[in-house]
Amino acid sequence: MDIGTGLVAIGAGLAVGLAALGSGLAQARIGAAAIGAIAEKPELTGRAILLVAIPETLVILGFAVAAMTIVLL
Amino acid sequence: MLTPMTRVRVIGPKSALVQAIEELHTLGVVHLDVAGAASDSSLDSVPEDHRRDRHRDELSLLLVELDALLSLVPATDRPAAVAGDHVPGSIDASAMRAAIAPTVHEVEERVRELEELEAEAVVLPRYVQPLRQLLPLVPWLADLSDRELALLRLDTAALVLNLDDDTVVSLLRAELEVELGERFELVATPVDESTVGCVLVFPHDAGDSVHGLLGREHVRHVALPTRYSQLSLRGAVEAMEERERLLPAAIQGAEEAVRELVVPHAAEWQLYRTAAAAELEQLEAIGLLRMTDRAYVMEGWLPRSQVETLREELDRRLDGQVAIEESKPARVDSRVPVLLHNVRLARPFEALVEFLDVPRSASLDPSLVMCLFLPLMFGIMVGDVGYGVILLFLGLYARRRFARSAPVLRDISFVLVFGAAWSLVFGVLFGEFFGDVGKRIVGYDWAVWMYRPGAEALEPLLLFAIAIGIVHVVLGIVLGMWQAARFREPRTLLDRLGTLLVLIGLFTVAGVAADQLPEGAMTPAVALAVVGLVLVLSLHGAMGLVMGPLELLGTLGNILSYLRLAAVGLASAYLAIVANELALAGPIWLGIIVGTFFHTLNLALAGFSPMVQALRLHYVECFSKFFEGGGTPFHPFGERQTMGAETPRAVEQST
Repeated sequence: MDIGTGLVAIGAGLAVGLAALGSGLAQARIGAAAIGAIAEKPELTGRAILLVAIPETLVILGFAVAAMTIVLL
Repeated sequence: MLTPMTRVRVIGPKSALVQAIEELHTLGVVHLDVAGAASDSSLDSVPEDHRRDRHRDELSLLLVELDALLSLVPATDRPAAVAGDHVPGSIDASAMRAAIAPTVHEVEERVRELEELEAEAVVLPRYVQPLRQLLPLVPWLADLSDRELALLRLDTAALVLNLDDDTVVSLLRAELEVELGERFELVATPVDESTVGCVLVFPHDAGDSVHGLLGREHVRHVALPTRYSQLSLRGAVEAMEERERLLPAAIQGAEEAVRELVVPHAAEWQLYRTAAAAELEQLEAIGLLRMTDRAYVMEGWLPRSQVETLREELDRRLDGQVAIEESKPARVDSRVPVLLHNVRLARPFEALVEFLDVPRSASLDPSLVMCLFLPLMFGIMVGDVGYGVILLFLGLYARRRFARSAPVLRDISFVLVFGAAWSLVFGVLFGEFFGDVGKRIVGYDWAVWMYRPGAEALEPLLLFAIAIGIVHVVLGIVLGMWQAARFREPRTLLDRLGTLLVLIGLFTVAGVAADQLPEGAMTPAVALAVVGLVLVLSLHGAMGLVMGPLELLGTLGNILSYLRLAAVGLASAYLAIVANELALAGPIWLGIIVGTFFHTLNLALAGFSPMVQALRLHYVECFSKFFEGGGTPFHPFGERQTMGAETPRAVEQST
């Protein structure tokens, strides 16, 4: 494996890893608020799951960048 | 689809009102609504009746009591609703309450004992922990009882300090020195990360000033429960530790005592509850009626297909003393209650739609869309024959297990079965059996389409995920256009059309750029995209230049979001391969344990994560293009009636 391939792998890992960190931070806050809301109104469970799942798009975009890095470089 | 509803008006003589309410309640097909328009001055509300109000209050109280009692019955011993269609007469709530009263008092006593034991189990460790740590610090004090300390003219106090910083103890010591000089002893030890426990020994005659100081400084004083307060410090700790050991058995005994008391009465209480609830529902329905001098008027909604049945049944039961008028609601009427009714395969998905929200009346029911796409997406993500078979059996077992007891879980089990079937299909397409176990056994790549973990599969897998996304999102946009046309909302219709044109244009341009479409398609594609863009921009008015591109970017983001189909699937496939590699790294017995552990973990993730992700793709990416929630669920009058064969005679009021 040459150094270029290694750098590509590191870049791909960073793209997913950093996006996951951001997503995790957002989900932590949303999740805490959502659990509070569900405790008050259990019928909000569906919408709470939806709100918690929204930041996951960040990781998917990170994954898209990582995949493009691997496929195109 | 949403069941077509119709509004009916039931009119009859005042003298037959009670019977009409009872019969309507028995039939259980009409969702009652307020009768008459607010502007209709010819109709009056039912006059107030204090006797009726009092009876309603009694029933409400009885229901609360019965619910509290039934909540103490373990789920396994809870009686099932007894079949039957008995119309309750006038229930004597006082007689029912008198019938349950002796048991209620006994139950209250037992529950109080249980709650005291549970509270003790929570509180006791809070005393024991600091005191146990303080014992070695004051050995000369540990064996002296309160009485012996009193003879020495000494008092003690156990304190708990919230440790904001290390200086708290020294500050307290300094304050005590100001008050008492040298006449005290203070020892401290950390209890946990945030608190410090202390024992303070001081002269009996300085008690008031010490307690005053502690109060001013907001220091928490650990006052021992009375039964331990006369013992020595060591004796109290030992007694509390012994009590801690005995408490679980005591709590279990108290729970058993409550259970033995309530279980034999559960069926009887359930019967009372059903009768009282039915009666209460009928009393509450009176508030929705309207009257003229001689007639009553009731109005409500029911499925259009049941109008004739209702007409025939009421006519027969009320000896022809009833007239039923039918009026078709306006195309968009927010008052119409919503009842989902789909083909059998799509019915389990109704619960998942309602999990998000009840669709608005006259809007689209997305159950069928979910039925088509959700299991497919689940299957793409799992995509493994081995996991698919296990999930299939788990789903079938859960479906049978929850067939009667939990309809929502039964529906979700069905969705899992459906998804597992697609997992088998994609497992064959991807050539995966517990990751690469199948490939290792047969010795070659048996994938019909592509082996997912292979390097060459990444690109087609991503394109496949995007293609699914395009189909799903475009379907959502088309449904949104259809709904906007139905609701006569031209702006929404044009907005969706503009988005669709831009998407078609952009993807055609991408197709030409990738040499997948002829170059001649480029000009019309660009033209389509420009027309769509202008349409979207112009609809947002002055903010169009900002909002329009944002909306289009959002839609493109929605499509990219389907990459999770590939991402979650690849993660699952790689985890399975890692499990196999680890299993082969050591001796065979260890390999079996390690492999089983990791595959079980992966299977648990495979059952949960793809379901949540597929749900999210529906709720966020697709439904946002057309779904409108906020509907009123259809609850027919009498729906709650699950009364048994007969109300016990002892509590029926003679009429």
